[in-house]
Amino acid sequence: MMILAIVLLGLGVGVLVGLLGIGGGVVLVPAMVYLLGMDQHLAQGTSLLILLPPLGLGALIAYWKRGQVDLVAGILCALGMLIGGYFGSRIAIPLSSQNLKGFFGAFLMLVAILLWRKTMEDRRTASPQDGNKSDV
Amino acid sequence: MSERRLRGAGIFAAACLCGVAAGLFGVGGGVLLVPLLGLLFAFSQHRAQGTSLVALIPPTSLLAFLSYAKAGYVSWRTGLLLVPGIFIGGILGGVLAKHFEPRRMRQVFAGMMFALGAWQAVSAWWR
Repeated sequence: MMILAIVLLGLGVGVLVGLLGIGGGVVLVPAMVYLLGMDQHLAQGTSLLILLPPLGLGALIAYWKRGQVDLVAGILCALGMLIGGYFGSRIAIPLSSQNLKGFFGAFLMLVAILLWRKTMEDRRTASPQDGNKSDV
Repeated sequence: MSERRLRGAGIFAAACLCGVAAGLFGVGGGVLLVPLLGLLFAFSQHRAQGTSLVALIPPTSLLAFLSYAKAGYVSWRTGLLLVPGIFIGGILGGVLAKHFEPRRMRQVFAGMMFALGAWQAVSAWWR
């Protein structure tokens, strides 16, 4: 029963990611905390595990074909995020679960504001066929 | 330093910052990288999204993941069970997105996420 619930949760998160073009982790972490009753640290570590395979490859190919990729900048970003990610995890692990949960809540609010802003930009640029398959 | 180099260094620094957030919160980091590329380096929305996808192809969360794994904060079973659903769901969502106007849905979702974040922060700190 639990296994089925987890598989269905994955399906639901996947639909949201594909539909809204938002990051999987942002949805996954709260879903695991509230729907599966996981601890904040455990949910974040598990989310990082899921984000290891190159889930955005299909989307990248689509952007690449339209010439909307800056490869050098992308590689620089990958390096920066690899290094930054290490330090972020070093900050997170010693925090109490309660504090981490609070900070995550603040982070979710920031993400919500960014997402809202983006919908405003989409209206300005108004391109009906794209703008949904996006950042993973 | 040439302007090109300077810009590269700036992008690298911004990405480091996104990486810290990614490792701290267990997320991909694209959610911050895309707006930062747009705001600080004048990337168009599409170019920012395409470029951020390059950064997410290599396992950039690897080092962060390893430190969580070392501390025992990874549930392999749950993680592996979630993957097939997310994969299939992602394809379904992509197909659905072509039939819907996703802007309104994103706004509703942003509202829900804001409320969830606020509730989570309040329940953690003001109890």
